[in-house]
Amino acid sequence: MVVLQAGLCPGLTEEMLQLLRANGIRTVVDFVSSDLEDVAQKCSLSYKALVAVRRVLLAQFSAFPANGADLYEELKSSTAILPTGSPSLDQLLDSGLYTGELTELVGAPGSGKTQVCLGIAASVSLGLKQHVLFLDSTGGFTASRLYQILQAQTEDEEEQLEALQRVQVVRVFNIYELLGALQELRDRLSQQAVSSVGPLKVVLLDSVSAVIYPLLGGRQSEGLALMMQLSRELKTLAREFSLAVVVTNQVTRDSSTGQLKPALGRSWSFVPSTRVLLESKEASWERACTQRAASLAKSPRQVRLPGSIPWECRDLALAPVGVGQDPASQGGHWRGACAPWLDAAEEKSICSQQRGLVFIGRINEWHHFQSRSLCSWCWSRSPDGVWAVRVLWKWL
Amino acid sequence: MTQRPSASLEQGSALSPQLKRLKLGTAGLKRAEEAGGGPESGPGPGELCPPGSVSMHRTDRIAPGTGISLNLPRLQVSELGSATSGQEEKIKIYVPGTVVIFHLRRVGAIWNSLVRAWEAIKLFNKFKSIRNSTGDVIEFHGPEGTGKTEMLYHLIARCIIPKAEGGLEVEVMFVDTDYHFDMLRLVTILENRLVQGTEEMIKGCLGRLFLVSCSSSTQLLLTLYSLENLFCAHPSLCVLLLDSLSAFYWIDRSNGGESLTLQEMNLKKCANFLEKLVTQHHLILFATTQTLMQKSANSAESFLPLKLPHETDTDYRPYLCKSWQQMVTHRIFFSKQCNSGNSKGFTVVSCHLKRNQIVKRPFSVAECGVQF
Repeated sequence: MVVLQAGLCPGLTEEMLQLLRANGIRTVVDFVSSDLEDVAQKCSLSYKALVAVRRVLLAQFSAFPANGADLYEELKSSTAILPTGSPSLDQLLDSGLYTGELTELVGAPGSGKTQVCLGIAASVSLGLKQHVLFLDSTGGFTASRLYQILQAQTEDEEEQLEALQRVQVVRVFNIYELLGALQELRDRLSQQAVSSVGPLKVVLLDSVSAVIYPLLGGRQSEGLALMMQLSRELKTLAREFSLAVVVTNQVTRDSSTGQLKPALGRSWSFVPSTRVLLESKEASWERACTQRAASLAKSPRQVRLPGSIPWECRDLALAPVGVGQDPASQGGHWRGACAPWLDAAEEKSICSQQRGLVFIGRINEWHHFQSRSLCSWCWSRSPDGVWAVRVLWKWL
Repeated sequence: MTQRPSASLEQGSALSPQLKRLKLGTAGLKRAEEAGGGPESGPGPGELCPPGSVSMHRTDRIAPGTGISLNLPRLQVSELGSATSGQEEKIKIYVPGTVVIFHLRRVGAIWNSLVRAWEAIKLFNKFKSIRNSTGDVIEFHGPEGTGKTEMLYHLIARCIIPKAEGGLEVEVMFVDTDYHFDMLRLVTILENRLVQGTEEMIKGCLGRLFLVSCSSSTQLLLTLYSLENLFCAHPSLCVLLLDSLSAFYWIDRSNGGESLTLQEMNLKKCANFLEKLVTQHHLILFATTQTLMQKSANSAESFLPLKLPHETDTDYRPYLCKSWQQMVTHRIFFSKQCNSGNSKGFTVVSCHLKRNQIVKRPFSVAECGVQF
């Protein structure tokens, strides 16, 4: 509720304000929704001036509609798909974490949510050399474990240190600290200060239920309002600055059907666009480690939900079990990930607006691209010399 | 092409003093009164109008074969500018559903554009129980993951695809309050539906889509006010999609404090203004609401009359303000079936509230969008 004040917009003078207030018009909403002819008569103000003020107020306070084609252009260049560090999890998520969206990992305690988050942080900071923000609300983040994961992926100590430096950890233990940290992040990103924190791509929140649970319960709706406020903040951050936001959540059992469902109730269940359920199955006695399974519970894109993929938590962090694929053999062209691109990128910046992986095609389809979508390396490798690329990709 | 000389000229002279020099804009539309005129007066569809005159006609059954009968009310045609015979004049037709400005000679074009505008309103071909009247307000209600946003994509694709490919070629306004809109998914659906999914065609289609995101219920209200001008400027913009009217429910409830009126005030104002927009500009409004509340086991608490049969199988408990509930003409419930054997995983139950008609349809979501 924005209250009308002098100087809020040109043309809104103090005298006008007094007259409007005398007639009960105090806020912007009152002004905009009232019939201006009536107001002009009652307050003896000029109709034209009122119309001009109304137009300026509307332009200032309302959202501006965008055309679909312009938005599509913008999204094509700014959306990126980030690998999670495990190729099979990437396949589950339709090639990775999409920026601009909120992904939720749900699972019982001990099912490996923090491990997946650490794996994502390691892969983004080491593989893509982008910055990561880890908001820890449970105290489950240990730098030594992250270091272990990085050590398993690369031998070079320099790189390991650099990757560690790119992960920023903020400990937040209640909702207000969390909202404050997000506000600080927003200020930093909107100023675009080229400081020690470079281009941020992922925000990991582990876990959201730990901050929200103390607020829920009872008959007050304030807890729910704070939860929705948090969800808005996360989603607007993801949209505006094209980040991928990952949150972890716990599970509860549905009282009527007995199935597992994500915690925090119905209102939260509408918030994430993608949901992955992590379960740990009790292993047989011969195996040393427990089998874990990840399944996709909700996705805006996957129409055939692939079945659950088994994975193990080892030193390699999320090494795929039983799938037998390594990224090099997966084929396909990913701007930013094929080996020749990486070599060339070190020599010179080919794609100056590179912000992570950009997905360029679906399975078994030929796509004709403009040159801006592919770097010259990938282009020259196209199989038949036609300006086209065939994307190879395996489903489970 | 026959021409009716004397009858129409008389009527022309009777009408033109009343409707001379109307200006563009809603103010002008409000003042245009429907002048009298018998049925079948003036030249029929597809006939030339003699210059300097006005014509009116009335038709039934614009859309044969679809099982939906439409009653086109009487048209009013008004003169804009001075009457100069021998030259083409611009006249404006005020028809519920569109404002069309065209040249006087081409009455065939009048017919085409009217048909097109009217066709834009019959979107749900499968739901035969839905009758077309001006100002339909349709509510999509359902728990999460049941395909409401997907159905909105289906509607958008249907509307913005050009006529040659089977669409309706009208403009669509999408108001997004909970940031669920995924442009890439819409593009995938368009690519699968168009025969040749080239970039230019997709961009051409997307040019008919307008998107706006709101971050609070106050901003939603102010945005609706500012969209009024857009509706006037784009006569083919006749579909308004609102994703998640209930996105601000908890925040508003907490901001309003103890009093229920304060809590519901913003939503009530939005609902009233939406009603005004829908009736003035003859839009169709599709709004999504989420099932936030659990249906209480005690049937005495339910607000809807118990005679509606859908009460027993859908989990509906109204929680939005009364003015919105009274505005809704059709309520469509979405649900998901958990049995994996069924290929069609989702169901849609459509209820026409005034007439108590229920239609149930299963659908599935595929790569190309919703499939019935």
